[in-house]
Amino acid sequence: MTAGSLLATDLVIAVLAAAGWLGGGAASAARRRPLALGLAAFALLATLARAITITALARAGWWFAGEKVLIAAPLSLAAVVVAGPRLLRAPGDIRSVAVPLLFAGYAESGALLVTVLHGYPASAGAGLLAVAGVVAATAVSWRFLGARPPRTVSRAALVVAVAALLGGTGLAVAPDATPGVPHDHGYRDARTADEPTRRFTLTAGTATVSVSGRDVPAWAFNAQVPGPELTATVGDVLEVTLRNRDIARGVTLHWHGYDVPNSQDGVPGVTQAAVLPGQEFVYRFRADQAGTYWYHTHAVSDVGVRMGLYGVLVVRPAPVTGVDVTVPVHTLAGLPLPAPRAEPVEAGMPVRLRLINTDSTTHRYALAGTPFRVAAIDGSDLQGPTSLVDTAVLIPAGGRYDLVFTAPATPVALFVDGRAVYSTKPVSATTGAWPVLDPLTYGVNSPVPWSRFDREFTLVLDRGLDLHGLLPRYAHTVNGAADPDIPPQVVRLGDIVKFTIVNRSQIVHPWHLHGHHVLVLSRNGKPATGSRLWLDSFDVRPGDVWEVAFRADNPGTWANHCHNLAHADAGMTLHLMYS
Amino acid sequence: MRKAFVIVSTLLLASFVLQFVFAAVGGFTKPAGDGAYALHNVNGMAVIPVLTLLTTLFAALAKAPGRLIGLAILPLGLVVVQALIAALANASTDAAGASTPLGLTIAGLHALNGIIAVHVVVSVHQAARKLAHPVEPA
Repeated sequence: MTAGSLLATDLVIAVLAAAGWLGGGAASAARRRPLALGLAAFALLATLARAITITALARAGWWFAGEKVLIAAPLSLAAVVVAGPRLLRAPGDIRSVAVPLLFAGYAESGALLVTVLHGYPASAGAGLLAVAGVVAATAVSWRFLGARPPRTVSRAALVVAVAALLGGTGLAVAPDATPGVPHDHGYRDARTADEPTRRFTLTAGTATVSVSGRDVPAWAFNAQVPGPELTATVGDVLEVTLRNRDIARGVTLHWHGYDVPNSQDGVPGVTQAAVLPGQEFVYRFRADQAGTYWYHTHAVSDVGVRMGLYGVLVVRPAPVTGVDVTVPVHTLAGLPLPAPRAEPVEAGMPVRLRLINTDSTTHRYALAGTPFRVAAIDGSDLQGPTSLVDTAVLIPAGGRYDLVFTAPATPVALFVDGRAVYSTKPVSATTGAWPVLDPLTYGVNSPVPWSRFDREFTLVLDRGLDLHGLLPRYAHTVNGAADPDIPPQVVRLGDIVKFTIVNRSQIVHPWHLHGHHVLVLSRNGKPATGSRLWLDSFDVRPGDVWEVAFRADNPGTWANHCHNLAHADAGMTLHLMYS
Repeated sequence: MRKAFVIVSTLLLASFVLQFVFAAVGGFTKPAGDGAYALHNVNGMAVIPVLTLLTTLFAALAKAPGRLIGLAILPLGLVVVQALIAALANASTDAAGASTPLGLTIAGLHALNGIIAVHVVVSVHQAARKLAHPVEPA
């Protein structure tokens, strides 16, 4: 069983246990003896079963089990110790076990709420608040069920509840002394001084574009979605002038996957101010990495990219030979882009399909009708890619795969989530059952170039209640905190840095570090055995543990975030800084 | 207090009716964007829990029997379960994010749990009215 399904199973069992105890308590209060005993026995079994799932999760990694071992286990134990013996010698009047059963239910519910609302890391504050809630709810139930608790018991309960409430609240709201990311004071301008060889102008504005025969409102660069395809040859100096016509909330250009100097990275409030209507900003950088990339706004990025402020950036090592097609997949107003395209290709021609996922969720790409190789992922060439047939690839949000093949005389078609997007002639193929390529085992391995790491960081991805803002929100969190309260990761120039990224949530998080490509070391404890993978976008699935490393060779302050941009907006953004 | 209990339980019932309406709004919004279920989410995660707590509070203040107070707080637990079912159903997709039979089965429980919850609220509302008018006029 994977850690992801263990997490889901444990959650379901915890809900069943809590519901069983509470139901049993209610049934015994109503003097429904068989029902009360049945529900309580079921709850007891579920509570004991949690011991198994929690142990398995702890073996998969402490990150998955921390608060369950430290908070849920003691509360469950208290539930079993209080309710268990009373059930065994079930008294004549079943109503007398109502309070113990309800106590067990409150304890299980409290533990469940800690997992769902707080998560990792376990904190004394959350534990104390749970205890306060359980004691208070038990005391109230006791009073309502008529039988007044003995004086000493009710006094003790009051003291415990108040102390736990005060202690827990104090610990929960105490501000952490997190060194903030410097915002908005003077952006360092370090664009290259060389004379540009490729000049482009991108004007952002609201527009109406036609998708699948429908007019949809969009935000567009130069009134088209995607924006103009920017192409260059290695060695070019690109100069891109960004103008904002009428995007009220501002725009920037972020070169996704392109490791530009920090001042050209396009993160508003960190590397530059957002470009407001009527303003402009000039980006200039040297194209020294060949490969498939894309650009998009990083100001109000969730809405901005979704509405269409993105385009393709391709840097070729030499002028094009053969057929070179870019396929930037996007969903605009619920409609899929790009429009299907069919063009005959002469047999024997070399073809390169540059697949780009500009959405916030994973897409499945399947190339039918020809063997192919994956030549590059995220702009970096793979070593020794072998030929693949009837195999699908999953591209994470923001990721790129380059597929290459020699055109056969027979038709070839590319399907994205089952929809034909590019073909040489009509092809009917069902690709849904094809196996999926695992890039960690693809190509020829070469050893990791570093033997030690100067800095190691762990990022535990989860959801949790964030009370630090104006309004409380159910945020997407990193190590229990949400932007802007996540402490920045500080590195020195030249450090070899290792990230361990753990997903304990129920949803996939496509991770994206700006300004650097990370080398994949392992996933779920299994070392990568394929070609070296230098990625800038990779899917950390529920229960996954990824280890990646990079050399800190690009000074500045860099966003490090989930590229499901709604998650990034909801707190899952932090920063990498150089000291 | 008994009158207030009737009023908040009526409001709670109305918010449950709206919740079904908002589910239909989400289901029929074209194209189905992330925002399609915004009304359903806000009503379910904020309005219904607050009205449930108020109903329970007024049930206690109106000196309703313990069984009725227990019944009044029950929708709160069912709402938490509703949110967890939705989260699990959304999480049970294949690697490319498409629904799976397991995920859709879990999603079906969301509807069943909703039906149970609305029955509980109807019972609470009827009991509240009975409490306010112990003797029906002939």
